[in-house]
Amino acid sequence: MAKHKTPLLDELEKGPWPSFVTDLKQQAETKPECWDILGQLELSYRDRITHWKHGGIVGVFGYGGGIVGRYSDVPTQFPGVEHFHTVRIAQPSGLYYTTENLRALMNLWEKYGSGVTNMHGSTGDMIFLGTRTENLEPLFWDLTHDLKQDLGGSGSNLRTPSSCLGNSRCEWACYDAQELCNSLTQRYQDEIHRPAFPYKFKFKFSACPNDCVAAIARSDFAVIGTWKDDIRIDQAAVQKYIANDPEYPSNAGAHKGRDWGKFDIQKEVIKLCPTNCMWMEGNELKIDNAECTRCMHCINVMPRALRPGLQQGASICIGAKAPILDGAQFATLVIPFIEVNAEDDYQDIVDMIEKIWDWWMEVGKNRERVGETMQRVGLPTFLSVMEIEPLPQHVKEPRSNPYVFWREEEVPGGWERDVAEFRRRHAA
Amino acid sequence: MALSVEELKKAIIEKAKKAPKPQLYIKDFYECDPDTKPRDIKKIANALVTEGELMFWSSGSTTMYARPDRIQNEEK
Repeated sequence: MAKHKTPLLDELEKGPWPSFVTDLKQQAETKPECWDILGQLELSYRDRITHWKHGGIVGVFGYGGGIVGRYSDVPTQFPGVEHFHTVRIAQPSGLYYTTENLRALMNLWEKYGSGVTNMHGSTGDMIFLGTRTENLEPLFWDLTHDLKQDLGGSGSNLRTPSSCLGNSRCEWACYDAQELCNSLTQRYQDEIHRPAFPYKFKFKFSACPNDCVAAIARSDFAVIGTWKDDIRIDQAAVQKYIANDPEYPSNAGAHKGRDWGKFDIQKEVIKLCPTNCMWMEGNELKIDNAECTRCMHCINVMPRALRPGLQQGASICIGAKAPILDGAQFATLVIPFIEVNAEDDYQDIVDMIEKIWDWWMEVGKNRERVGETMQRVGLPTFLSVMEIEPLPQHVKEPRSNPYVFWREEEVPGGWERDVAEFRRRHAA
Repeated sequence: MALSVEELKKAIIEKAKKAPKPQLYIKDFYECDPDTKPRDIKKIANALVTEGELMFWSSGSTTMYARPDRIQNEEK
């Protein structure tokens, strides 16, 4: 029996899609506090203002992240959500859970919280929504001691690093994203659990340029697998695709639920190449690899004929973020190719991360993402602090904005010129 | 010359006691000793949390530091 009347929320159950309102009503049968979530949300819809007070001193001892405090500003009306804190649970690399582990996590949350979850948050954590302050320490004890799991990052911390499935499932993986993700997660435990920075900082690891974790759009430090040499071509397999051999379906058969007609390599691959770097010479597919931007389209369409090159590593892109302050921003390519070497504990990548942190902690303003700091000081300054030589790949729009400027000391003779001599050759 | 760890701890606690607002960003503590690297100041501030001299205050997206007596009074 509903505790509160919710006519506005009930409208959300009438559409064609599953509704969170229905889910919460179902959950309220065993967790009565869920009625108060619905009641408070209905009130917010009526008042057109949130009734959550965000933030506070909640947390578990020694941790400065992983719990986000949330209190109702109308607790007498909705006592079930007087405290309704969020708990972030660190996800395993590649989001591999066993069903046993998922059941144990759900039992834990039924015991200490509302049972309401968000799978997963933008950072990748499993989000448990709604518990009281006095439940936090017992929940944390059980989570860490019985389930051997940990809280994720929140606040001005390193957020829980996340990776794609990488080598575990994917033939295109150019480095072991899960191993790198795990290694850096272990190395930077202090930065994950305790605040360290002017604002949040996210690592994301995609093992190939398909970028399944959207690292380029969603992380401050994106490590995206790539290769240095040529795309591997199996010309015999190319012919099988052209001949529409049923063993060689385009896109690995991903869209074969509908009849798209005969496969046409010109229309579906060559003419869609964003840099026009592919062509047929007789029966041979040719690629001008120097022009390839690693868009992955041709490899995705003809996976049995084309594969990433063998000299594999990663590109590092810095500074993506969501649109909180200046608008959404993609990461900037800073290192086109870096070796991903587990044998030296990824020293090159670690050195780069720590150099960025040292600089950003000093120069970054409060609540400024590293991408915003880069934008504020300019790419040339950032590159010089990072001790990286400007490269053609750094130039964003060469015709309209060179983006990288010479400094006086880099130009022979500096800025001083003989104007009379110049005007002799270039009339005003 | 950089302050010793004990001197820096004292300076951070003083700053947290006297700042106009009870919650401080980690960056606010940098001025306690401009010669100490920000990452070392962060480590000392976090050690002070373990010792109970400071506590974390989180908005969810940002984490700040505060003296427990000042912040608990404010929360009441």
